Amino acid sequence: MKKFRCKQTGLIFFPAFDWAISPTHPEREERLLYTRDQIFEEGIIDLPQIAEYTPTLASIHDIARVHFCIPQVENQITEAHLIAAGAAIVLAEQIVEGHIENGFALVRPPGHHAMRVVHGNRGFCSINSEAIMVEYLRRRHGIKKVAVIDTDVHHGDGTQDIFWHDPDVLFISFHQDGRTIFPGTGFSDELGGPQAFGRTINIPLPPGITDESVLYVVENLILPILKDFKPDFIVNSAGQDNHYTDPLGSMRVSAHGYARLTEKLKPDLAVLEGGYAIETALPYVNLAILLALAGMDYSSVREPDYRPERFKETPERAAQVRRSVEKILGCWQMRDQTPLDPKRIDGKYYHTKKDVFYDTDYIEENQLEKLRLCDDCAGHLVIDTRANHGCGKVNHALCLSIPFNACSRCVTEAYDLYEETRSSGRYNFVYLQDKSTDTFFGYDEGLRREWRTEG
Amino acid sequence: MYVGVDVGGTFTDAVLLDRGTVRASAKVPTKEDLLESITKAIDEILKGVDSSQIRRVVFSTTMITNLIAEKKYDRVALLLIPGPGLNYRYYNFNTEAFYLSGAIDYRGREVVPLNKGEVDAALANLALKGYKKVGVVGKFSPRNTSHEKYVAGMIKEKYPDWLVEMGSQAGGQLNFPRRAETTFLTCATRESYRYFVSSVRQALAKREIKADVFILKADGGTLPLENSEEQPVETIFSGPAASTLGVQALIPPGETAVIVDIGGTTTDLALILSGQPLLSARGARVDEQLTQVRTLAVKSVPVGGDSILERVGKEIIIYSERLGPAYCMGGPLPTPTDALRVMGLTLLGDQDQAREAMNILGNPIGMNSVEVAERAIGLVVDSIAAEIGKMFLEWEQEPAYRVWEVLQKKKVRPTIVVGVGGGAAGFITRIAAKVGCAPIIPPYAPVANAIGAAVAKPTMQVSLRADTEQGYYIIQEEGYQGKIESKLFNEQKALELAREWLIRRAARYGLKVTPDDIEVTRKEVFNMIRDWTTTGRLFDITVQTPRGIVFHIGEEGGQK
Repeated sequence: MKKFRCKQTGLIFFPAFDWAISPTHPEREERLLYTRDQIFEEGIIDLPQIAEYTPTLASIHDIARVHFCIPQVENQITEAHLIAAGAAIVLAEQIVEGHIENGFALVRPPGHHAMRVVHGNRGFCSINSEAIMVEYLRRRHGIKKVAVIDTDVHHGDGTQDIFWHDPDVLFISFHQDGRTIFPGTGFSDELGGPQAFGRTINIPLPPGITDESVLYVVENLILPILKDFKPDFIVNSAGQDNHYTDPLGSMRVSAHGYARLTEKLKPDLAVLEGGYAIETALPYVNLAILLALAGMDYSSVREPDYRPERFKETPERAAQVRRSVEKILGCWQMRDQTPLDPKRIDGKYYHTKKDVFYDTDYIEENQLEKLRLCDDCAGHLVIDTRANHGCGKVNHALCLSIPFNACSRCVTEAYDLYEETRSSGRYNFVYLQDKSTDTFFGYDEGLRREWRTEG
Repeated sequence: MYVGVDVGGTFTDAVLLDRGTVRASAKVPTKEDLLESITKAIDEILKGVDSSQIRRVVFSTTMITNLIAEKKYDRVALLLIPGPGLNYRYYNFNTEAFYLSGAIDYRGREVVPLNKGEVDAALANLALKGYKKVGVVGKFSPRNTSHEKYVAGMIKEKYPDWLVEMGSQAGGQLNFPRRAETTFLTCATRESYRYFVSSVRQALAKREIKADVFILKADGGTLPLENSEEQPVETIFSGPAASTLGVQALIPPGETAVIVDIGGTTTDLALILSGQPLLSARGARVDEQLTQVRTLAVKSVPVGGDSILERVGKEIIIYSERLGPAYCMGGPLPTPTDALRVMGLTLLGDQDQAREAMNILGNPIGMNSVEVAERAIGLVVDSIAAEIGKMFLEWEQEPAYRVWEVLQKKKVRPTIVVGVGGGAAGFITRIAAKVGCAPIIPPYAPVANAIGAAVAKPTMQVSLRADTEQGYYIIQEEGYQGKIESKLFNEQKALELAREWLIRRAARYGLKVTPDDIEVTRKEVFNMIRDWTTTGRLFDITVQTPRGIVFHIGEEGGQK
């Protein structure tokens, strides 16, 4: 048993023991306490297979590369968020520089419900750690193609929203059927924007499924798609709420199931998302995932009450999962032959209307999103967003985003639009996120003040 | 007056301190018969001194360190109860281990009961193999000692002559493999340690010294000699602790300093951050295995005055091995000590021999002896300076688990480099220049270790864990598990309870502690919420008597 890979598995354990959304909220200080006990007691950190790292803070600029935080980044985050995102960045950097084989950011708070525009906290998330890390890698390390596999019981709608129009980021999420759980999205017909069609894949699963069906989805759908897509870097948004004891989800996956999933997926970096069975699941699932990443034997990690015979998949559910896998695989294969919906095209722009609800902060947001249809690049994006905070407080903002490899026309048009909108006075806030030069602008109409950050 | 005695592998050093000044010091070779060496060192420093004037004697010793390094201890079997989790085959203990079923979880709940028949069979097997010393260690045993106590009880009943140690007492922190290693070492060294303690007692009795006697621990605190027999491993690595405390006493209070102790084969580095020696984030590492022994952060660099120098092609390189003394002192090969001799930075050995050593290296590549010496000293300086940089980096990169811990991480750099040990004089100025600090070689540097022992303070800590949902609390150091009766148990009560236990424990050790002296070094309070209501609280509290030294040498007023 003394044989191990020459490269280690990196671990950042940041339980944020002094941070909570509110004292009784599931996202509270206690969440990773028993995980800490388990991991420390096992002596995992002393093993030669594991290297523990300490997180640093992500910068405001790193966040502005992904999010339009309204009014400003500083208003939407706490230090804990910067540390969680910073942890993902530290490990990702170690991985792409070849110092470690893979990594696990065992951190709070989570992030996968945080969308491109951030008016407040939704689904316990304020900023999207994985997206911030992915954009950091693309900007600073020239990584081209990334796959994000979201295995949380809730649909990773934030990550989906951020990479919806991005042909170079493949987003796959399997989760409990949106008709039965927050956030109520993630259906199999959500497949990505016109320039990135099929690069978003959703696999809604019926409540109650077990390890068997989850592993079936991984083997028969996710792995073949990954093989086609050939990502340079694979991220796993590792939510642990598919566990059979989770208080929010209704799935029946075990710690072993999570370990086998990790083993098959072979992510470069796993980032903890949800999972709120803090005693009955987290200590075991976290340990199992970490061991699987390190290529170590996890067979003796098991929940005290786990009896495999009680977790047999029913034939009906198994058949249902098989059918949807087949259907979704068909969509993936047809991804480049699917025509655009003509009703959504208005001149050079492709329109989408969206309503977003912020469950934690009780904010209702309406968005009109317009993508510049361009033959030379992914096209710039224009988001008109209006958020009703209640009590008559409404924030109206225009957000412009220029992609990494934008053509000069899309860049110029976006800058012109930014100047024009700023002087129109029609919006409370105007933003320009220019990823092509890593320069981000914001403008506050009330204060008549502009700010910018540069990399 | 205070006496400090450092019983090292080669020399036994002793000092007599009086009102912040060094009254006398001695250095005598350590003999096989410890009693003889200790008596000799004490006699030298107590010439003409009335022994009734001595208030306290503190010993530090590398005895346990050496015993372990040379594996001169009795065979010990580990009886482990690992439960579910990491496969135990990944653990690597320095002794034979046997496994029992049974499991306790992180909250101290029994998950899998012990199997009595299996315990019987395991004990019979140990008896067959001739083991008479057994460490019983369970995963999460500090949270519930019942499994360990049951097995230990069975051993006492069936094999009353065996020595049994329980993990929950030897290593009460979370970390099962380190606990097992600590328990094994406690078991293995207890009897040999008794020999040391009795030698010390006899030496003191012979000279009619009736002062309080303490032993230095790896973390720079002291224990009364009597009680140290309970935890002999605590005394491991007290050598580096002694020299670090010695330097702390010899430099002004509040400084941030690197201590460079250059010996023949290795150089030990230690840090004093704003006047306090840095504790290691992990436990002491013994024979490649981590333990739960709290220790100062000391880094050993395999470079010393007697390291071997060699020429490879046009390069001079340095090896970490030692094959005897320096060439100028009759050794076989050129060493950094020869280089120092050539440059006039030491007066040890023979000048001509040293020059010859440098010429052996330099002649084939057309370098003269001074050039070679210069190069060789540079090699030593560079490698030590690089390690100093790394040590600070490692300290900065120690994991943090709270937002405030991440935010308060600052870059701290030393202002002075303090040299102690035989090789210090020749190298320290250059090392200091390289890391941008002022060099200091304090007076009495050769006996800094004995001074460190003399000024060390008694320390003691008590860790309380209370789980109000389950209605119990545990005092880790005492292996005590008690009930929480009151529904009003809160943070205040938990702190009071921990302080009470510390005072009680200290009294048993003959130490007087007042509540105002007590420091809280760890306080974790977690609300347990189940279904949106608070069902209980978890408290993890560690209190200790203050760390530090009795006084600085040369301090006004000095000793009280």
